[in-house]
Amino acid sequence: MTELASSRTARRIGRGLLAIVVAFPVIWVLFIASGTSFGPAVSDPKDFLITLLNGITAAALYFVVASGFTLIFGLMRVVNMAHGAFFLLGGYIALDIQRNMVGGGGGLGLSSAQVGLSQWLLPLLAAAAIVGGVGLLMQQLFLRWNQGQDLRQALITIAVSIILADQMLAHYGGIAKDISWPRTFDKFVNLHVSGVQYTFTRLVILIIGIAIGAALWLWLKRTRTGMVIRAGVDDRDMVSAMGINIQLTFAIAFLVGSALAGMGGVIGGSFASLAPGVDANWLLNSLVVVIIGGMGSLGGAAIGALLLGLTTNFAAAYLPSDYTFYSIIFTFVLLAIVLAVRPLGIFGRPA
Amino acid sequence: MTLDRSVGLVFVVVAVLAPLIFSDYWVATLLTQALFLGIVAASLIFLSAYGGMVSLAQVGIYGIAGFALGNLTTNGNTKGLNLGWAEAPGVLVALLIAVLVALLFGALANRSYGIYFLMITLVFSVIANLFFGQVTSVSGFGGISGIPIPDFISRTAHPDRLYLATLAIAGLVYLALRYVARTPFGLTLQGIRDDPVRMSSLGYKVALHRTLAFTFAGFIAAVGGILFVWWNAQIAPSTIGLGATIDVLVIAVIGGLFQLEGAWLGALVFVLLNNYAQDVSFIGDRFHTLIGLVFLVIVLVSPSGLMGLWQRAVAGRPRAERADSAEAAGPAGLKPAG
Amino acid sequence: MAALRGTRRTPVAAAVVAGIVALAVAACGESDNSGGSKSTTSAAPANTSTQAPAAAEAPAPQKAVAPRTGTGTPIKVGVLSDCQGAFGSFDNQDLAGVVSAMSQFAGAKPKNPNKPRDGWTGGAIGNHPLKLVGIGCSDDRADTAIRETRRLMEQLDADVMIGPLSGDESIAVANYAKQHPDKTFVDGSAGAQDTTLKVQAPNFFRFNGDGAQWNSGLGDIAYNKLGWRKAAVISDDYSFGWTSAAGFIADFCAAGGQVTKRVFPPLNTTDYSSYAQQLPADVDGTFVAVGGAGLIPFLKAYEQAKGPIDAKKFMGNLFWGTPGQFEQLGPRVAGAYIGSAGTAGDLATPAAQDYANNIIGKWFKKIPPGGAAAPQAPSTFTYGYYVNTWGLIKGLEAVKGDISGGQKKLQQAIGKVVLPAPYGEIKLDENRHAVFTNYDQQLYLKNNKLAVKTVAAIPNVDQTFGGTFSKSTPAPGRKFPGCEKRSLPWLGKAQAVKVDQ
Repeated sequence: MTELASSRTARRIGRGLLAIVVAFPVIWVLFIASGTSFGPAVSDPKDFLITLLNGITAAALYFVVASGFTLIFGLMRVVNMAHGAFFLLGGYIALDIQRNMVGGGGGLGLSSAQVGLSQWLLPLLAAAAIVGGVGLLMQQLFLRWNQGQDLRQALITIAVSIILADQMLAHYGGIAKDISWPRTFDKFVNLHVSGVQYTFTRLVILIIGIAIGAALWLWLKRTRTGMVIRAGVDDRDMVSAMGINIQLTFAIAFLVGSALAGMGGVIGGSFASLAPGVDANWLLNSLVVVIIGGMGSLGGAAIGALLLGLTTNFAAAYLPSDYTFYSIIFTFVLLAIVLAVRPLGIFGRPA
Repeated sequence: MTLDRSVGLVFVVVAVLAPLIFSDYWVATLLTQALFLGIVAASLIFLSAYGGMVSLAQVGIYGIAGFALGNLTTNGNTKGLNLGWAEAPGVLVALLIAVLVALLFGALANRSYGIYFLMITLVFSVIANLFFGQVTSVSGFGGISGIPIPDFISRTAHPDRLYLATLAIAGLVYLALRYVARTPFGLTLQGIRDDPVRMSSLGYKVALHRTLAFTFAGFIAAVGGILFVWWNAQIAPSTIGLGATIDVLVIAVIGGLFQLEGAWLGALVFVLLNNYAQDVSFIGDRFHTLIGLVFLVIVLVSPSGLMGLWQRAVAGRPRAERADSAEAAGPAGLKPAG
Repeated sequence: MAALRGTRRTPVAAAVVAGIVALAVAACGESDNSGGSKSTTSAAPANTSTQAPAAAEAPAPQKAVAPRTGTGTPIKVGVLSDCQGAFGSFDNQDLAGVVSAMSQFAGAKPKNPNKPRDGWTGGAIGNHPLKLVGIGCSDDRADTAIRETRRLMEQLDADVMIGPLSGDESIAVANYAKQHPDKTFVDGSAGAQDTTLKVQAPNFFRFNGDGAQWNSGLGDIAYNKLGWRKAAVISDDYSFGWTSAAGFIADFCAAGGQVTKRVFPPLNTTDYSSYAQQLPADVDGTFVAVGGAGLIPFLKAYEQAKGPIDAKKFMGNLFWGTPGQFEQLGPRVAGAYIGSAGTAGDLATPAAQDYANNIIGKWFKKIPPGGAAAPQAPSTFTYGYYVNTWGLIKGLEAVKGDISGGQKKLQQAIGKVVLPAPYGEIKLDENRHAVFTNYDQQLYLKNNKLAVKTVAAIPNVDQTFGGTFSKSTPAPGRKFPGCEKRSLPWLGKAQAVKVDQ
């Protein structure tokens, strides 16, 4: 009895604290924001809006990458630690293809004026397909025969990521490179709100993120394979006991999940750059998103991505200038809060 | 005396006599490094073998202890807080800070199991790394160098003393971990590893237990961190980056994830590989690929690492004193979803 | 697992190279630097026919010594370079510098003219053979550098070491050196200020410059040539970014400018949009000391926040001119002035051409992965390792190769070495750090591709910036140096340079 009552008060206190912790930053950003570059949102709505858009568009990319990770985990319980390496690999492959298509070799940085739409889309699709294939290969060679041994599989993917990262360093070198947006995207769009002009490239990222989300949702909810995957996420043994070819489904899911990582790499390489170390960053990003959102949940990946994107962008913009380097703490605090309240993530379920 | 015990004894004797047998470089650099890395790996293996929790946060905690010591004891450096404390209080406070952080991490992760636990602890380590990389008042990217070490084990004056001190501490750590595993606390922990639900229904506070076990392992890792800083005289965020975190996991796996002895065996193999792989001509710069391959092979062939291979080789001899169910059952939550 | 660590900014390390853009400024040491000579600099590739006064000061080409070997006790040499990590691709450039110096001045010979990393054979000073005992492979991290240093100095028992490559590694190595006073260390190409200014190890010598020195002269260009009065600075939030920015700030404020805003994105930033947004619109220009993997994302984020980049409103540090890197920046930055790392690949003096063609280009045909050797001679890595090795050799010559007695005499001798180096004479100050000629450069479009040219030479650049930096001042940081009008010894003394087309 006492335990029930005390846990209830504990929960109430917890919720109260949570409310304060969430409300304070919101109030700060909207009304106070002293010592920052922009000032509070009520007096500078333009910068607030831009930061909000930055956060949302960043979230779209986080979602694309994390969705692949969570799909693989949800169905196969495989923590694919090579996900970041796949991201980087996709970026590098697309880079090579783009540079070859545009010509003028010698590995020179391109300006978007030189790049047509097809010279961005084709590398995107090709890289995604190739990386999907690489993922599938890894799954068939190393992960197919030891299902259920989660830790062992995680270790195998770690080993693969070490090898991949070193080989990419050997082939592509340590200098940062980037993929060029096509000229069709590289322009500003007038949003007609508070005089905000926003770059179309980031809106493209948002559009792609939404499209991928919709496509995945449709696939999972409306197709037979998707239905099998959802069932498999719920109860793998039952699915295979019912005679469904679960191995084929696993293979497809791994292919799609890795392809998403590769696609994310192309986008990430376009808006930022590709260099050794990027793989580790994106693995971390995917992990954080999926931990927050819950493993195996697409909706969770979307929420997690949104939270992460908004947190990182608002922390960077609205912390007082002397404290910008604490922005990483905010990611940690976000994680800590979610874990304290929901140890399996917002939409997570136990194994 | 069993075969295990005699082999173990041989190792111990060789370790104690190492300054007489091996070159200075071997003793001061390679073997000392293997010893303190082994301590950190042992904290990981303790948690995984007896607690069923594979934690990647050990390196983060080891780093926090090291950075704390660096900040407290340096003086006149351009980096860090430069508090200029004496060694003894510095070490105590550094350990305390690391243990408190371990408590915090443990509390956050105590309701997560298996692979979730692995991922969350990995994120802890990486955030610790990023924290020290970005908060320039306590470290910054370059880290803190020129950290003083206690005079009585200074490397230049008494090159073997650090090795012997590390050896003694490693021995104590090993004995302590074996002992704790047999106390009621340790037995409860193993029970939680095997079946948390049943333990909870028996009235044990599972979450609290796991937090305390994690904190204890954090303390061990912190000890390793102090020794590391004394050995290296410097610490940087890259010491506890994703690479370093994975390295300790590699060590634990190579040695044997469910045997405490595996910690030091794995550390020795790793240190030697790291040191000599570059000299092999066709490997040269690509020694990371080699390490990745070795790791892959071991995981594919013998998931219980080298200690597992050893035990299979001498199969049939009594295993009474092992954490027996450890290997058979595997850490909870890592079994097939059921 | 070095490759899987978090993104590192490329610390110091000489990345620069590229040519130095010759500033066509009043030649005869006039202190009038009004940017009246407008377009001569930016538009026309300058084969400026101004009389560069330094004809007498221009170092002469160096002759090679005859090959020789020795029979006495060997001097064991270790070399530490980065073969992994962000600067791993420059490994062979580093070794090319070392081996070329050994071959040119100590009678050695490269083992493989297509692969510098294979080392050298032969070579001797005063009948003591120079034996290469090992080449360490670091990855830009201080821990790895220390581990490799230990391996070279303790396991392989080297007497002297050349290296490391990057800034934070060098601070760690300098601290190690302090604990081992009976061995001698010369830098490779690392440019962290603290290594010599603060650590002051009596047995660590550096013949290359630091990150702040590499930006000397830019403030002058900004104020007088480009007419900037107010500037913003954005730099990586760690020591090298601050040091690089500090060089510009000290220079620009000394010339009379004001730095009104400083933005410091943390390391591991991938999304610079918020930081680009924070850069004010009401400044005349922005100095960018964001390096490594962050430079391109920053430039893109800037364009996406504020529109196309006007190169006249930007200045960069050495990262903008790193060969292999700057080509990735794209034509958007053509026209921007940048700092260098003390080298000027297009300098038209006989010594500079000789260095590239008859020294580096003679001993090596190829430096992988880049290709032909001679064009890679002006790389900061090649040059840095070259001058440091040369300084070591000269010191050894002064003591006739005798390194007994705890190497004290050698260390004293190296401190007195003056190098008639191809890009300008180099001497050491009382902290054993280089005083040298720096160069400022400019990016431009040549056949529609981005290229770098040298525009000005700044003689006698020392580490203290006329007293701005010393052992007792704070290290460069977010607030230091402040923006004050100081007197810099080289303000207004920039010289024109003759460059090749």
